[in-house]
Amino acid sequence: MIASLDRIITIGRATLVEAVRQRVLSVLLIFGLILVGASVFVSTVVTPGLDAAGLFDEQIKFVKDFGCGAMGLIGFAIALLSTAQLIPQELHNRTIYSILAKPVRRGEFLLGKFFGVVLLLALCVTLMSLAFAAALYWQEQQGIAFAHGLYDQQMAGHHTPEEAKAIEAQYQKDIQDIVGKVRDPQLIEAILLIFAKLVMTGAIALLISSFATSSIFTIVTTFMVYLIGHMEGVAREMWLSRGADTTVWQSAMVGLLSMIIPDMNSFTIVDEILAGNRVPWEHTFNLLGYAGVYTIVLLAVSEVIFRFREI
Amino acid sequence: MIGLSLSRRLQRALLVALLLGLWAPVKVMWEEGISREQNDLRYQGMTITRQLRDQLGQGLTIGVLSGMRNVVADFIYVINVTLAWENQEWFRMESYINLCTTLQPRSIPFWDGGGWQLAWNASVGAMRDVNQPTKLRRLHASRYWINKGLDVYLRGIANNPEHYRLWADTGQLYQQRLSDFPKAAYYYEQASLRPDCPTYYERFPAIMYANAGDEQASYDAWVRLWKRLTPSQRAEPLHQGDRIESNIRRLEKKLSVPPEKRIFPN
Repeated sequence: MIASLDRIITIGRATLVEAVRQRVLSVLLIFGLILVGASVFVSTVVTPGLDAAGLFDEQIKFVKDFGCGAMGLIGFAIALLSTAQLIPQELHNRTIYSILAKPVRRGEFLLGKFFGVVLLLALCVTLMSLAFAAALYWQEQQGIAFAHGLYDQQMAGHHTPEEAKAIEAQYQKDIQDIVGKVRDPQLIEAILLIFAKLVMTGAIALLISSFATSSIFTIVTTFMVYLIGHMEGVAREMWLSRGADTTVWQSAMVGLLSMIIPDMNSFTIVDEILAGNRVPWEHTFNLLGYAGVYTIVLLAVSEVIFRFREI
Repeated sequence: MIGLSLSRRLQRALLVALLLGLWAPVKVMWEEGISREQNDLRYQGMTITRQLRDQLGQGLTIGVLSGMRNVVADFIYVINVTLAWENQEWFRMESYINLCTTLQPRSIPFWDGGGWQLAWNASVGAMRDVNQPTKLRRLHASRYWINKGLDVYLRGIANNPEHYRLWADTGQLYQQRLSDFPKAAYYYEQASLRPDCPTYYERFPAIMYANAGDEQASYDAWVRLWKRLTPSQRAEPLHQGDRIESNIRRLEKKLSVPPEKRIFPN
């Protein structure tokens, strides 16, 4: 058991090193870091100057949306590209033969490869999260500078001690609000959910590449599954409600889709977090659990297909 | 050889079918549970309709389907709403605002900014429109956009009743654009009852009633506020308890409130 785990970890580490050396993925990651960092410029372009409290809310919303959006988009591209070429590349370079000639089971090889992709995704998400944190910090400083300027302006006139106290208290509250909006601990939930969705996407790509003969087929099919996954909820609803207008074929089709395709749309709960609404940790754990179990099932199916594949 | 190959394929197919067959009911039930939880959380997703797809165009529809709904909504707000505002194309701007709020009904800045664009920018733009031949028509057009802005705020409140900002925005609209002070007072009071509302809003209802000339209602609003605040809150500078007290004392005198009914009999 430990020997098997060792082999999986070794293959995973080799996959990570191999992926890091690939220029396409590095360029994608750099592009992602730039995109996340650029979110502050988007917000500044939209709302130049901060002349009202509402504008800070808008700016922080744009930074969060674009930051997490870039993380999801670039992460998706990395998950897709890195996983899609795992098996085809090994077959093309014929390295798979020398690996499988050693005492390595096919399942271990597959799990090791996927473990490498998960490590790669974790690295990318961590780096992009750091860039995101830097962008948020910059935005926070802008907000604080504005609140400070407003405070100086208000204190410049003549005030009674009570009025001065009220202005001081309002200033403290404004700073608290700004810091509270920027340093929202719920953003950790958002990043975890983005990561879980990426891992699930990688697992779908691995499943498809376990029987596909080309990377292009895997990329296109995974992308389609990903898109359909965002509509799976509609199909499930239609299948479960079985309206009078639904024919047997339609019902069978949406039923099949509901049973196979993962519900990607549930992960758009990230939007709620970014909008500043509270999403309980229990719900996040439920979604993370769903993603985890789904990934295990996808890996199990991939293993079965790959075990019987003629190489 | 072929027989062996077939049996291997059959074996593989059976194993895959078994795995997926075992997983499918669990998956559907789990997803239903998640969906129920999200409904309970008042998370309102949106469904792609044909009308929405036509409004979005092909590229943005793919963006929405890829889980980038917030980025698409931001993009429309940043580019299209701003451009329509710059070109003073108010109907186009309204349609884009509605698109943003449909894509992200729980995002306050879209309702907040959208309502303001219509009730202030579009309505003032209509008032200054030199193409309208008479002042009456300009007034009519201006009022049309104020009502559109109000509609955005009210729909925003229906989607986000727990958030103070849209209640405060509606109060501000009634106060500044329609000079309907009693309604402004109602919305400001509702805003002040929501969490995270800045404390200055809690004094607005009484001031609005005073603006409307209804001093009794103003007094009642001050008293309601006084009773709502705890003694420690009254002492905090942000709540300005001394100001509330002086207003109550002034109105008790002015309205000749009987001593036994006064908050401050002395």
